[in-house]
Amino acid sequence: MTAAPLVDIRDLKIGIERGRGEKLVVVDSASLRLRRGEMLGLIGESGSGKTMLCRSLIGTLRRRGAVILSGSILFGDLDLAQADERIWRDVRGRRVGYVPQSALAGPNPVMTIGAQLGEAIRRNASGDSSAVASRARELLDIVRIRRPDVVLKQYPNQLSGGMRQRVMIACAIAQSPELLVADEPTTGLDVTVQAEIMKLLRDIRTDMGMSIILVSHDLALVDAVCDQIVVMHAGACVESGAVDQVAAPLHPYTAALNRSRIELAIPGSELVTIKGQSPAVGSWQPGCRFAERCGIVQADCRVGGHPPLVGPASGHRTSCLHPELMAAMP
Amino acid sequence: MTDKLMSATGLSVSFGSRAQRIAAVRDVSLTLGAGESIGIVGESGSGKSTLARILAGLQRPDAGTVLFRGQPVYANGQAYAGDLRRQVQMVFQDPYGSLNPRMTALAAVAEACRFHDSCAAAAAQEKSLRLLASMGITPEDARKKPRALSGGQRQRVSVARALCANPSILVADEPTSAIDQSAQAQLLNLFNGLIGRGLAIVLISHDLAVIRYLAKRVYVMCEGVFVESGTTLDVFDRPQHAYTKALIASIPGRKPRQTRP
Repeated sequence: MTAAPLVDIRDLKIGIERGRGEKLVVVDSASLRLRRGEMLGLIGESGSGKTMLCRSLIGTLRRRGAVILSGSILFGDLDLAQADERIWRDVRGRRVGYVPQSALAGPNPVMTIGAQLGEAIRRNASGDSSAVASRARELLDIVRIRRPDVVLKQYPNQLSGGMRQRVMIACAIAQSPELLVADEPTTGLDVTVQAEIMKLLRDIRTDMGMSIILVSHDLALVDAVCDQIVVMHAGACVESGAVDQVAAPLHPYTAALNRSRIELAIPGSELVTIKGQSPAVGSWQPGCRFAERCGIVQADCRVGGHPPLVGPASGHRTSCLHPELMAAMP
Repeated sequence: MTDKLMSATGLSVSFGSRAQRIAAVRDVSLTLGAGESIGIVGESGSGKSTLARILAGLQRPDAGTVLFRGQPVYANGQAYAGDLRRQVQMVFQDPYGSLNPRMTALAAVAEACRFHDSCAAAAAQEKSLRLLASMGITPEDARKKPRALSGGQRQRVSVARALCANPSILVADEPTSAIDQSAQAQLLNLFNGLIGRGLAIVLISHDLAVIRYLAKRVYVMCEGVFVESGTTLDVFDRPQHAYTKALIASIPGRKPRQTRP
């Protein structure tokens, strides 16, 4: 019944080249599905591979010395895991837009906003300058920047952090891509600005029918704005499902994240913390990479590769081998 | 106000050239009791960090006074003259930039111990290891350099360094904003324990969840002035000022979640 997803990442493995053919694996066992028009929250600690996974969707892994070792990234009729630069030129910007993490460092400081938007608009199409200018004004209107004619002539340093991030979003959607990847778009911005940017992303999703992947380490944020959640830990996707499903987690890592949420804690009470640290890249043990930190770990959790996500293809999936033990979690 | 550990009255400071002064803090007053935790919230540019620096003795105000146990902090040429200096310590926002990258965590903490206690190297080493252990840093991790530690661990090392002086006030400027959720929880548990042992904390943050959890009283700062203050419960439940209302409305998802299947 369900239509084919827009993005279907299967068992993706990404490595960084260390010379002499050696590769350091940074993402292993990553699987993710996104249906058209949905907003998906990708969460995990720093270093869990969120940004690498995003880069695989815009074809900029090579610039960081990383390569896809195995797995597939089905996007419409393409497998982006196999795409060469010629295909990427058609996909990047045109079909997949990207909003980078740092709004403050994002825009080019020596180009006016108008010039940067013009570049984003013209990248593939040949447009006459008056058409480009009117499209630029239209985009600023979509991201709700008032006085577009003033802003188009300004430089990034004349804008606030929130305004700069709106400009980055305008550049990312300039060619009406099917997918927008936003990598921690509100890190470092104020809560009031964050709320505005989130509203903007939701409106873009609704009005333009764009599918969005929102990367964040803030579970509360993802919970409030997304339809689907994918949880990453140490390079693997460990749980995925609709927001309401994941609210009753089937993986002990998600459960621990839920319980360490500060905004729900009684002031001054002992907060739940997750034992130890996420294992560093290069020192992954066999089996489940959460085993060392897990309260319900069993002998079979420590053998073989990282367990894959199991469960209904478009439903609630977990990589935990023993979700039935979670009721007994300490 | 002799029962107050610290009180600040009419603090103002401005920056910039003579032609273009920008008032960062305007006529701000606050009090802090022994073992009390207060929060200062506001958005970027509201003057929170400047205020923190004034309280910690790092920025002389243009006007106003800061009293520590009734003694003026900015009395003569030097802020916190003599032994007062150690009474107020500060933890900074960026755990990646506030430690010397070439020193191990242990060496960084031991250096602060020797500075404040003028004790022998071996005693400083031992005290540092004890302090670090109380923050959940193992002796093995203590011998690592900052780049081998996580953001949360680095922030706890910074706290250990600040505590070497046995201060009565810790000023923490956005201590949790650069670290992951689980590490945040660890750091907040640590702060909670320190408050329980009588340390007063001034917590600067734009994260209302962190303030709500840790601070008994809160001051809301906007464009250099306090627009609202009160007990944290009152301010969160019945915000009066439009700015406070907007801040609270922006907290994502305050709906409770089921935590077990």
